[in-house]
Formats: sequence, structure tokens, C-alpha cells
Amino acid sequence: MDQTHYLIVGASHAALSALHAIRLHDAEGDITVLTRDQSLPYSPTVLPYVVSGRSKPERVFLRDEEYFARLKVKYRCGVAVKRVSPEKGAVQLADGEEIGFAKLLLATGAAPVLPAIPGLAEVKFHVLRTMNDAIGLREAVPKIKHALVLGGGLIGMHAAENLAKGFVQVTVVELQRHVLSGYFDADASGIIERIFAAKGVQLLTASRLAGLAAHVDCWRATLGDGTQLDADLLLVAAGVAPVTDFLDGSGIQIDRGVLVDDWMRTNAGNVWAAGDVAQARGFFEGERILNGILPDAVGQGRIAGMAMAGDAGAKPYAGGVPLNTYAFFGQQAVSVGVQETALDPAGVEVHKQVDAERARYLKIVLRDGRLAGIFGINWAFDPGVMWELILRRIDLGAVKQAFLASPQQTARGLMSKTWR
Amino acid sequence: MGAFETISFRPEHCDGCNDCMIACARAKEQSDDVLHSRIQIVPAEGGFELAMCRQCGDPECVHNCPAAALSKDGESGVIDWDASKCVNCLLCTLGCTYGGIVYDAPAARVIKCDLCDGHPACVKACTHGALKFLTTARIYNEVGNLEDLFVPGLAGCQGCNTELIMRHAMRRIGPDAVVATPPGCIPGMGSVGYNGLTGTKVPVFHPLLTNTASMLTGVRRYYKRIGRNVKAVALAGDGGTADVGFQSLSGAAERGEEMLFICVDNEGYMNTGMQRSGCTPYGAWTSTTPVGERGRGKTQDAKNLPLLMVMHHCAYVATASTAFMEDLYDKLDRAIAASEHGFAYLHIYSPCTTGWRFPSDQNIEVARKAVQTNFVLLWEFDPQGGLRLTHPVDDPFPLAEYVKELGKYRHLSEEQIAHIEASVARNVSFVQGLAAGRPPTAAAA
Amino acid sequence: MSAVLKPKSKFIVCDGNEAAAWAVAAARVELVAVYPITPQSSLVEYLAKFVADGRLAADLIDAEGEHSVLSVLQGACLAGARTYTASCGPGLAFMFEPYVRTPGLRLPIVMGIVTRDLLTPQSVWGGHQDAMSVREAGWIQVYCESVQEVLDTTIMAYKIAEHREVMLPVNVCHDGNYLSFGAARAELPDQAEVDAFLGEKNVNWHAALDPQRPMAVDPLTGGAGGTGPSTFVRYRKGECSAMQNALSVITDVHEEWGRRFGRTHAPLVESYRMDGAEYAIITIGSMTGAAKDAVDAARQRGENAGLVKVKTYRPFPVRAVVDALAGVRALGVVDRSVSFGWDCGPLFQDVIGALHYAPRRIPAMSFIGGLAGADITIGHFDHVIRRTAELAEGPGAAPGETVWLNEKD
Ligand SMILES: Cc1cc2nc3c(=O)[nH]c(=O)nc-3n(C[C@H](O)[C@H](O)[C@H](O)COP(=O)(O)OP(=O)(O)OC[C@H]3O[C@@H](n4cnc5c(N)ncnc54)[C@H](O)[C@@H]3O)c2cc1C
Repeated sequence: MDQTHYLIVGASHAALSALHAIRLHDAEGDITVLTRDQSLPYSPTVLPYVVSGRSKPERVFLRDEEYFARLKVKYRCGVAVKRVSPEKGAVQLADGEEIGFAKLLLATGAAPVLPAIPGLAEVKFHVLRTMNDAIGLREAVPKIKHALVLGGGLIGMHAAENLAKGFVQVTVVELQRHVLSGYFDADASGIIERIFAAKGVQLLTASRLAGLAAHVDCWRATLGDGTQLDADLLLVAAGVAPVTDFLDGSGIQIDRGVLVDDWMRTNAGNVWAAGDVAQARGFFEGERILNGILPDAVGQGRIAGMAMAGDAGAKPYAGGVPLNTYAFFGQQAVSVGVQETALDPAGVEVHKQVDAERARYLKIVLRDGRLAGIFGINWAFDPGVMWELILRRIDLGAVKQAFLASPQQTARGLMSKTWR
Repeated sequence: MGAFETISFRPEHCDGCNDCMIACARAKEQSDDVLHSRIQIVPAEGGFELAMCRQCGDPECVHNCPAAALSKDGESGVIDWDASKCVNCLLCTLGCTYGGIVYDAPAARVIKCDLCDGHPACVKACTHGALKFLTTARIYNEVGNLEDLFVPGLAGCQGCNTELIMRHAMRRIGPDAVVATPPGCIPGMGSVGYNGLTGTKVPVFHPLLTNTASMLTGVRRYYKRIGRNVKAVALAGDGGTADVGFQSLSGAAERGEEMLFICVDNEGYMNTGMQRSGCTPYGAWTSTTPVGERGRGKTQDAKNLPLLMVMHHCAYVATASTAFMEDLYDKLDRAIAASEHGFAYLHIYSPCTTGWRFPSDQNIEVARKAVQTNFVLLWEFDPQGGLRLTHPVDDPFPLAEYVKELGKYRHLSEEQIAHIEASVARNVSFVQGLAAGRPPTAAAA
Repeated sequence: MSAVLKPKSKFIVCDGNEAAAWAVAAARVELVAVYPITPQSSLVEYLAKFVADGRLAADLIDAEGEHSVLSVLQGACLAGARTYTASCGPGLAFMFEPYVRTPGLRLPIVMGIVTRDLLTPQSVWGGHQDAMSVREAGWIQVYCESVQEVLDTTIMAYKIAEHREVMLPVNVCHDGNYLSFGAARAELPDQAEVDAFLGEKNVNWHAALDPQRPMAVDPLTGGAGGTGPSTFVRYRKGECSAMQNALSVITDVHEEWGRRFGRTHAPLVESYRMDGAEYAIITIGSMTGAAKDAVDAARQRGENAGLVKVKTYRPFPVRAVVDALAGVRALGVVDRSVSFGWDCGPLFQDVIGALHYAPRRIPAMSFIGGLAGADITIGHFDHVIRRTAELAEGPGAAPGETVWLNEKD
């Protein structure tokens, strides 16, 4: 049995961040990185751009062989972990091979969720999570005319835009009343929707896909209200769920994701989890949440790596804050923190400016004089500075009016004074 | 991984003129619109603050990039942005807590500072001294690339900066040297070794506490005689320099012996249990000036050793502090050069975590405060140029900022603090007088 | 002494201090550090003048005190220089700290002691108290009787000090006032012959401060743990055996000197008219001249007196002393200094200590004279001889029964 000190399952953001953190502290300990992907590491986030052709698949790798050689890391791709035994300190691969470990990091991310739609199992559909998915989609685009995207979340919208740019007629079916409901309110989404509409993308919100069936040379979708749509490409982007199937019988606690403490450690003392697979404490909620975003995968990976290596400089997880940037059709939308609707109304103030004409939007949510959320479309502010203001619970007190009038300038001033 | 060059910002010197932003916008986007500037000066509470890329050591923007478009250059430390890979997802802007990488709407892409290939346009444009291009890192890297001439694992107290002084000084001086370390913390931490084992890669020896400069005289004179340029270096404590070793020091200086004498001043005999030396300042607790019913610490001021050396007309005399390494390196270079033709004396202040009683992570901070309060003055002297303050502090912090940090001053009364303040003031005016070329008597008045 | 005139040697008239300076020049000393002190001052003035005149090709360092003088030499010697200085009395006392360290460093430094009594009472005149006070510091100490012997011994001292089996510093002692300022005819050896005699300089093969062979000189050694105790013992024992090695080296070097220069000096002890001597007086340094005259006179009177002069005082030539005194029934030891702890002279102490190894007990008496420049005359020695003769007949002296020769002068 191959034995390694650190075993990292997954090779994406959480995994690479952990690896980096381990090597900063422990230059020598054996590290093995496993991924079921066939290639060097890449980010799922870049895949829409692979679909659109903007990014060449061979140019998106996050690390090269030289990097792993230099860091003395054994990188094994094309291998999937099937079973984990913390007591034994070993994992089993799909082909039965076992690898022993002293410390294990689960960074297996998330995978698309397939909703229970009658007929879905019978039709050919696409998802977008892996490079193979992206290449498959990319190859399909020139051959199709009408794509149906199931789900108006970030992945669905990214895909929709890039399909549209490939001269495909795109329809997005979204169950919620507006798209991107995880990140934006109805006003903001409205602006985004109008731009999509202007670009010829059909957005069907508050719509449910009731059934699917093969029809002549395409697929026919039936919506909840009976409307029928024909499409020659179907993309399912109805959400993701942590990849935990291989943990059955491991004794590692799972709720929706792998439950971890503030050091990203699971209930098994020699196993950590980080990134999309992990369910860690929410900054606002206190309870453990899924926060499947890239920056959190990086942050959690670092904490896990430091904890695994015993780095005394490690700081506990500050808590997950929902956030994202969203660039679409040359516009920029940013979402940092929580909507007022997610908060207990006491002490909450909302300041909103909407200029639908010029596609400009700004909403600031304060709680007890501290920033809780800031959302903008085509509005300049520094998302990273805002996130830090939230995490540090900086009292805007004296500068509140200035902040409301000019969040970017004021936040930069606070930053420069407080943590420069 | 090395250290890198960086732009430093001193808000107290910024008047918000925007010249730097205009210079940047012009240099980078051929535009006068400051929105294109990668350096952003922002008004904040009556002053000005700054947002720009810090070229972080472990940059979050790079970690956050899904397209491998950002990378840190191992040579320059600059975080490079590759337009051909960028997908404009803006996740980098989420990673940056400094507003250092931002979306430039008209340009339709992110922009960030690239230090203009080591010649930043903004710094050149700043006429107020608010922006400075710090090349200290270059020095650190240079020094870092030089061979460390001590073995690993010298056993100094936790937080002691003497090891830093020794290692960095010797890296700079190089292997063609003979090093004398009179009894004290420096050999005490194992630099000369134990029972037949050495702690140093160059010839090193324990002189007596009393004869460092004399032994080095013999060493240097003989090498000179046979035509070899071997540097003679003393790494001595203040006790061996100012007290019992002063005669040989003074004799060698008067004769103009060619050597570099570095006094690491920790204000007492710290290696042997913190006894008072001639360099112990007024009021300080030491184990021989204890605090008790009647004792309130040392009752005399410290002797000003570096000024005494100036009066020997040495080829070079300077004071230095590890809180100001750039300054220290400069002086070290000059002292080394001067030691080739005369007596060079470098007096380096070395706060002692153990003997002065302060937390071991505060050494550099204490050293900095000593300078910022004018308790310690940084200057240099050579016979041609006279005395020059290298880091004048015109607006010093109150002395209390310094003394309150140190356990050895915890007992001080108001009167004692006033005494120290008066001594500091006297010293400042005396040294300023020398620097201005005024006769010392007039300045001292 | 049989003077065979060597072709290129020349004669000069000089005092002991100048003779030492000539020797330093002849030994091609490279680095000299000096600090003036009576009665050594003219010696360093000669050195300075010789350097100024180009007769002595050395670097001369006017240090700010004796402490530094020896320290400069230590540094120079560790760097590879042949070195010289001279001092005495209070200067030697001030030099004590580096002085005691020199033998441990095994540095073959040669230092003249132009002997002077130690303070206090305040005094600037000759006496052996200075050199005697440091007799246990580990230096080789040899005492000269004449100007010529000062010159010859100072040159020989380098060959002894730098001998691989020795590697110890040497004090060449000559009496303040009597030898320092007393002029005599002296033969200056031929330089080429001196060069051949001394051979290769050999000063720092064992311990050096040289970047070309970096090492730590004198790291902390000893303590109670690890290799500390054994390492320290190894160094100390090494010094002691080097001292013992010096006895034969000194003898060999003196023999070679005699062969090369036709002038022999007794290396360890000189026996004078000891054939058939019933009793002996023991002397050291320049007093020996007067003592020999007194012994001659005694012999003339039919008294069987003899004399043994100690030249090599450290290491103490125990065997040579015992052998020289094998036939006598009594002895009187004349010191120019005192041992406070024993109320006698230090040489006396050494001699009676050595006699522990003699086959039988020999009654002995301590005489102290010539302190602080006082003269020990033939008359004084007559007295010594008489008292010693009495000793041979009687039960011997009691401890502390010391005779102070100049007590009534
Ligand atoms: C199309 C798309 C767009 C996105 N856009 C954004 C965005 O704009 N902003 C944002 O913040 N986030 C975005 N995300 C989400 C972001 O990509 C993820 O949050 C991030 O990649 C999570 O990183 P991770 O390391 O936790 O897991 P993943 O990136 O999911 O990586 C999981 C790794 O585990 C490996 N693995 C899984 N199971 C096994 C197994 N059993 N054995 C071996 N290896 C295994 C996989 O091969 C992979 O290497 C997007 C995601 C997608 C798909």
C-alpha cells in the first residue's frame, strides 16, 4: 500500500490552496494529490469561457508538472476515490488500490444536481462542471440552433450567455421569480434580465419544467403551465451538491455537505474538508452552511492546509459570506454579503439606488451601523474591501453618510487606515 | 522567496494633489483621467489615503483567478496580469482587500499596478515625499544572497536582535575577515563555539573583555605588512567597549588602526546577568542598580560612546538601529570602506528583551520607538563631511512612549522621567549643534 | 667562555637594553609593540631608533599601555608574525591579563623583562619581584648574567619558543639597572649565521586567525558536562608537557649556539667551581658575577665553596639542580625577591622543592638581597658563604630563618 503523509483528494481551488499552505510550513512531508479528472488542475469557473472559445483548454491549467515537481508533490490524475477509512488511515481507489495517509483532505467539490423531472433520464442532456462537459458543449454548439438551459443561477446564466454568443437561440427556465436569486434582488435581477432579453436570450422565470421527451430531431420540454418548447440542446444547471458519495460508511459526518469545524476538520481527527464539499459555519447564520464559491474554497483550503501542517499561524474560519462577481455582456454585477431579507429586521437599514435605464444599481444593507451586504451593477466599488469590512465588523459610525454617498472612496479610506 | 521592492505611502505628506494619479494614467493608459490610475488617492478624515496593489507575498488575487491569468513574478515580486488568459470574471477583485486590482470600465478590463518595471511613474511625480520607492528589498535580497558566516542555531535569547546584527554584518563584510567577539552575549550565544567546535565560518576568537582593539591591531598590521587585505572586525558589547575595553579602543582609534569596530549596545552586561555598564542610561533598573526602598535604578546618565569616538577623529563613526535597516546597511558599507584606511566605529542599539524586560516580539518596535522619541539619534561622522543626522526626528513622540514599553523603567517617577527628557533634549541639541557645525559649547548651552 | 672569532661578527659596546634590541633585529622580528617603563625605556627607544634607521625591519606599534602591547602581539602572532616586546614591574603587572593567556594560546612570543621590584614602596629600581610574581603563569623564564648573554639568549629564545615541541612564550629576564644600563663589550653575531640558526619562522601552525584556514581560536572550554572536562585537561596537560619538553630543547639550542657561534652559555644551570665543593651558593641573574668572585676568594682561602647559577627558572630544571648539588652538604640560595607566603626567596623555595628528589637531605638557607636596586657586593657573598659553611656543620636552618643581606646597608 502506498503511504503518504498528506493525502489531498481533489485538485481544484480548495486542494491547491491547501497544498500551498502545507508547503509553506512543511517543506518535506510527503504529499499526494488525487483527482478524478484526466488533466492538470483547472477551475470549473473558467469552463463557460471554454465553451465560448475565449479560453483554450490547454491554457487554463492552474499549475503545471514543474510546480508539483518543485514542491515534491505526487500528482495523480484520472483516479477516483471510492471509499475512505479514517480509522485505517487509508482510501480506496476505484480500481481497488489503497493509499495510506496520516492526514486526509477532502476537496472533492460539488457536482450538478439532477432534478426529478419526468423524462430527464431518457433524454440526452449536458451539465457543466468538468472540462469534458465543457468540451462536449463546445463541440455541440456549432451543430445546434436552440438551447434550453434549466436553471437561472450563476452557472445557467454563464452558460446561456456563452451559448448565445455562439449564435444559438437560448431559453432559460428558472423556477424562482427572478434569475440569480441567490445573489440579487428582483430590481437588480430585473436589470440583468433586461440585458439578456435585449441580447435575445429568452428568460422564463417562475417557470417549472414539468416533463421532457424526444421529439423528431430535438427534445420537447413541457413547462408547468403547459407551454411546450423544442430544443436541440439541453443544459441542466439546476444547482450543485457536494460530492460525498464515496464517504458512505466512512463514519465522517455529513449533512448537506461534509460537516467541519472552524479549522475545517471533520469529526474524524485525521480528516479535513474544504471548498464546495464542506459545510462550514456561516458568518451571519452561525449554523453551518454550504457556500459553494471559489473565494471560499481558497480560504477554507488555506485553513485546512495550515491546520493539517500544524502551522501555528493558522486563524480560525471567519465564517462563510455569500459573495460573487458576475460579468455578463460587458456589464459587471457584484454581490457581497446578505440581502436584508435574510436578516432579522431589527437594526437593519437598506439604501438602494436603481437606475434601470442606464443599467446601474446599488444597494447597501447595514445592520447596527455595520456593513451586511452591498450589491451593485455597473457601480464601482472594491468587492474585496467590502468583504473585509463585513468580516471585521467595522463600525461605519462616523463615516456612514460618506459611505452611503461614496462607498468605494470611503471604504478605501477605512482600509488604508485600518489594515494597510 | 526573496523580498521585493515596493512603493511606500506616507499619508502625512500627501496633500491630495493627484499628480501621482495623473502620472499613472498617462503612463499606463495615455489618458489624463485619474479613473485610469492604478494608484488611487482617496480623501479620508481630513487627510488622504491610498488604494493600490501591494504586490502581496502570497497574493489572494492569484489564488482566486480561475483562468491562470495572474501570477507572481519570482524575480521582481510583481503580480503579472496576462490579458490573453483573463476572462474578466472579476473574482480577483473579491480576493483583494486593498482595492489593488479594479475593473476599469472604459478599458473594459481589470487594471493593477506593475511598478513600471522598477521605475514607478507615480513616485517620480510626487513632489511631497508622500510616495517613496523602497528598494530596501533589493538590499535584503543582496544580503540574503551573501553567505551567512555563522552556523545555524546560535543560542541567543528569544527575540534578541544581536544575532540579526551579527549575521547581517558578517554577510556584508564577507569571509576575508578576522572576527573578534569579546566576552558577552555574542560569543555567549555560541559564535566562537564550545569545546573545540566553532560557531563561525571565518576566523573568530575571544579576545579579553579588555583588549579587542589591540588584538585586532596586531592581526591587521601583520596582514598589511605581508600585503594581504584581511578585514579586522570587532563584534563587541557595550561593556567591553565603553568600560574596561575603552583604553584599548581609544588607543587603537587614536593610532588610526584599520579595523571595523561594531559595538552592539544593549546598555549593560546582559550576558552575565544584567549588570550596569557605562552605557546604561539614567534610571534604568539593572541587577547592580536595583530598585528597592531607596534604590531607583541608575543614578547617572550613560556615557555617549559614539561621540567620544568622533572626538578621536576616526575615519568613520555612526550610530544605527535595527529598526532602520536601510540606514544600517548604508552605514555598514561606509564603515567597511573606512576600515580599509582607518578606524571605523559603528554603534548599533540593541534592545535586550531579557534585560530590559519587554515581550520578545517587540524588539524592533522598541528599537524604532527609541529613535522616534530621540532617545537614540541616528547619525554618521567622517572627518571630511563632519557629523550628519541620517534620520532626524523633528517631531519626536513623547519619551513616555518609549520608557513605558520597558520593564526596566517601570519604577520611574515623574522626576526621573523629567531627568531623562532633559538628558535627551541636551543630547539632541548637542548633536544637532555638531551637525550644524556649531561649536559644541554653544550648542550645549 | 672561549671566544672563537667568527669572520663576520663584530664587536660593539652596549648595555643590556641595547643588546636586547640588537638581538631583536638579528632575529628579524616582524612586529614589535612597546610601551616605555623604567628601567626598560631605553630598550624600546633603541627598538624605535633601529626601526627608524632601517636596522630593524619591523612594524612598531606604540600602544597605549602594556596590556595592549601584549594583546597586539597576540593578534599579530596569531596572524603569523614573529613578535617582541619588553616590560617590567608595574607594566608587567598591568599586562597580567593577556600575559597569563599567552601560554595557553601557545604563542611563541618573546618578551624581555628588565626586572624591577614591584610596588609598593614606590621604587623604580631593579629586583626580581616582577618576574617572580608571574613565575606560575606558564611562560618560559630565563635569567641572563651578562650583556652578551642577553643578546645571545634573546635570539635563542625564538628558537626555543617556536620549537614544535614547545610552542610557549619566553621571558628573557635581565636585571634592571645592573644589566639594563651596565655597558660591556659584546659580540654581534653575523646575520646570515643567525638566519641559518633560527631557520623557518614557526609561530601559528597550531592556532591561527587566517581566513585561508578559518578556525575558532579559543572557544569556550571546560565546564562539567560533555567533552568539557577532558578537553580542558588535554590543553592544560599539553602546556605542562611542553614546559618539560623545553628543558631538552633549551639545552639543545644552547649547544647549537655554542657550536655555531663559539660562545657557550650554560642552558639550565651553571656549576661553578663545584668540583669537590662541600657547600654551594645558588644565584640567579647578574649577581652571579660578584658571587663567583667571592667563591674564588673562598677557594683561595682553602674553603670548599662552589656555586650553582640558575639560568632557566621556568621550567624549573629539577634534575639539573639535584645533580649539580649532589655532592654538597649545605647550600645558601640568594634571591633578589621574596616569597611573602613563605618568608624566604622564591628560588630558595624551588630549590628546596627540587631537593625532595635528592638522595639525602641537604640543609639550606635563604638569603635575600639586591631588592630595589641595592647592590649585592662580594662582601655580601662572603657573608653568604660563611653562613652556608656554618650550616654544613650545624643542624640546618629553621623555616623562616631568612637572611636579609641589605638589612643594615
Ligand atoms: C460553470 C461554473 C461557473 C462558476 N462560476 C463561479 C463564479 O463566477 N464565482 C464563484 O465564486 N464560483 C463559481 N463557480 C464555483 C466554483 O468553481 C467552485 O466554488 C470551486 O471550483 C470550488 O472548488 P473546490 O476545490 O471546492 O471543488 P471543485 O472545483 O469542484 O473541484 C473538485 C475536485 O475534486 C475532484 N474529485 C471529486 N470527486 C473525486 C473523487 N471521488 N476522487 C478523486 N477526485 C475527485 C475533481 O476532479 C476536482 O479536481 C462556478 C462553477 C461552475 C461549474
